[in-house]
Amino acid sequence: MKYKFIGILIALTMFATGCGKSGKSKDGLTIGVAFETLQTEYWVAGFDAIRTDLEKRGYTMLQAISNGDPNRQLDQVKNFITRKVDGIILVPKDAKSCLPIIKAANEANIPIVLFNRPADKSDAHSVAVVADNFTLTRETVSYLIDQAKKTGNKLQAAILIGDLGDINAVKRRDGFDAAIQGHEDLIDVVARIPTEWNQEKAQAGVVNALQANPDIGFIFTSSDFLLPSIVSALKSAGKYHKIGEPGHVLLGGFDGDATAWKMLKDGYLDATGVQDVYFEAAQSVQAILDLRAGKTVPDLILDPGFVIHQGNLDEKSKQMWGAQMAAKK
Amino acid sequence: MRRRALYFALRQAPALLFVAVAAILSILSPKFFSLSNALNLVVQSAPIAVVAVGMTFVLLTAGVDLSVGAIMFAGGALAAKLLLAGHSVALALLVMVGCGVFMGVINGFLIVRARLAPFIVTLAMLFVWRGFALWVTETRAMNLPDWFIQFGTARLVGVPVPVVVFASVFFLAHMALTRTPFGRQLYAIGNNVENARKAGLPLNWLLFAVYAISGLCAAIGGILALTQLGSVSPKFGENYEFKAIAAAVLGGTSLFGGRGAVWPGTLLGVLLIQMLESGLVMLNADPYLYPIVTAAVILFAVLLDTSRQAILEQRSRRRIYHDAERT
Repeated sequence: MKYKFIGILIALTMFATGCGKSGKSKDGLTIGVAFETLQTEYWVAGFDAIRTDLEKRGYTMLQAISNGDPNRQLDQVKNFITRKVDGIILVPKDAKSCLPIIKAANEANIPIVLFNRPADKSDAHSVAVVADNFTLTRETVSYLIDQAKKTGNKLQAAILIGDLGDINAVKRRDGFDAAIQGHEDLIDVVARIPTEWNQEKAQAGVVNALQANPDIGFIFTSSDFLLPSIVSALKSAGKYHKIGEPGHVLLGGFDGDATAWKMLKDGYLDATGVQDVYFEAAQSVQAILDLRAGKTVPDLILDPGFVIHQGNLDEKSKQMWGAQMAAKK
Repeated sequence: MRRRALYFALRQAPALLFVAVAAILSILSPKFFSLSNALNLVVQSAPIAVVAVGMTFVLLTAGVDLSVGAIMFAGGALAAKLLLAGHSVALALLVMVGCGVFMGVINGFLIVRARLAPFIVTLAMLFVWRGFALWVTETRAMNLPDWFIQFGTARLVGVPVPVVVFASVFFLAHMALTRTPFGRQLYAIGNNVENARKAGLPLNWLLFAVYAISGLCAAIGGILALTQLGSVSPKFGENYEFKAIAAAVLGGTSLFGGRGAVWPGTLLGVLLIQMLESGLVMLNADPYLYPIVTAAVILFAVLLDTSRQAILEQRSRRRIYHDAERT
């Protein structure tokens, strides 16, 4: 009786955590795709884009999600290696924990590409396809600063920082700081809110920041996925107004998801830095093929992305993955 | 006189620590010490406070419930689906509460009937319900209609609704633990399960009840969090289990059962954690300092609690004097 329950529990847990799934079998190459998480729209869009790309080429995709557990991800990749995949696309938990995974792939002579999160420098060899987090954030915040200049007032600002163990979050914070540097007469950063990529922490953080500094007029979030938290906090404080209305808080983000698209369209969001998820997916698959063909591939392939704002909304919306996801809903 | 003062200080150690942290934050940030911020703290604490009440019930029986955050997420995901499909708020909230109780009952069933360890059962259920919720939401954030967050800011006789719910849950839990046979029986189980069994207490029923209560509290906490956030993201409810355990332990609840209280213990624990997070934002502290400061205060509080228990137990022992000592 007891063993029966344990068996059921294990089976349910494996089902719930997506362990051991695999794609349809087709002729051609087999690529293992291991994601650390699917917990934001961006990762879901990236996963779908890679799958679509591989399917178009007639390749088989083996898939695994480790739900934030690097040890589990190592086991999943070893499983790929045992199944003799032709290439691995990996979204690691962080820059360090992926090094044993890359080394395992190197030892098996299987090309490995890191999607959207690079690894630390080491003797392990991989190719990373990542957004230019620093530059894209700096450009987005610079646009917001230009808008701030138009108000003619010195603005109090807040930044929502992601998980400080995530190199992407750190680069975005650095990009924010670089944009603000030299504009201290115009922007006073009064709150740096660590969110750990958690909406509830973000909401509480913004509420607290507004409590301490009711005049905050400029908020940047390191991911659009935290925008609903900001909106909720601003509404509670009676500060959620459209662009051009008195009391509008300048808002900027990063990612380019469907929520950001809707807020841009409705006139509440000033700008967001868009990662080109389709470019990154295509480059990841191409890098695998090039590595297999023995071509030289740079260790880092940068996605320049673009800033979408009220001034170029119509022109850029077709390239924005969030707009396309919103259209599908 | 001095001994009485020492006893008082030891007994009130959690409250004194709370006052000390509040005083330090008020000195460092003048805006911290205000009525509006106090109210803000209580509103923000409401979801975790309600979850921590359920956790206190479980901890008193020497159990643990690691699935509370996942229950919040699963119930929230179903409620959000219903709301976005145009169903009424009443139905959505009813489903969420029903889910909480149902999931709590499953935990209770596996622990009581299958005799599995609470840690293993609730850990497995954490993955099951989180996986279920990810499947329901298709791993996408679900933004609720704009009017939904009005519940989070609504007031009842001038008091914010989350505070009313928070206070009601604490009052009911306090009364249940201190004024009913049910409450006394929970302490008895936690103190010594074998003695409780020999005394003829309905162990199975009591354990069933505490996990159902924990599931119910997780669902109510989830509703409060939803009304403040207006969105169900894939990380909804994440780490609530640890926050709830930390709050209960900070308030003096023992992880080994039999000791603790929701009033004032768990309440102080919840407010202390929230106060730290809020205070650090108000001070515009370096983001790297947050986990260090929070962990240091929690560790200090638990150390203080352990020491005071040891001292109080030592002092309350009856001393036997030899004749020579008396003279």
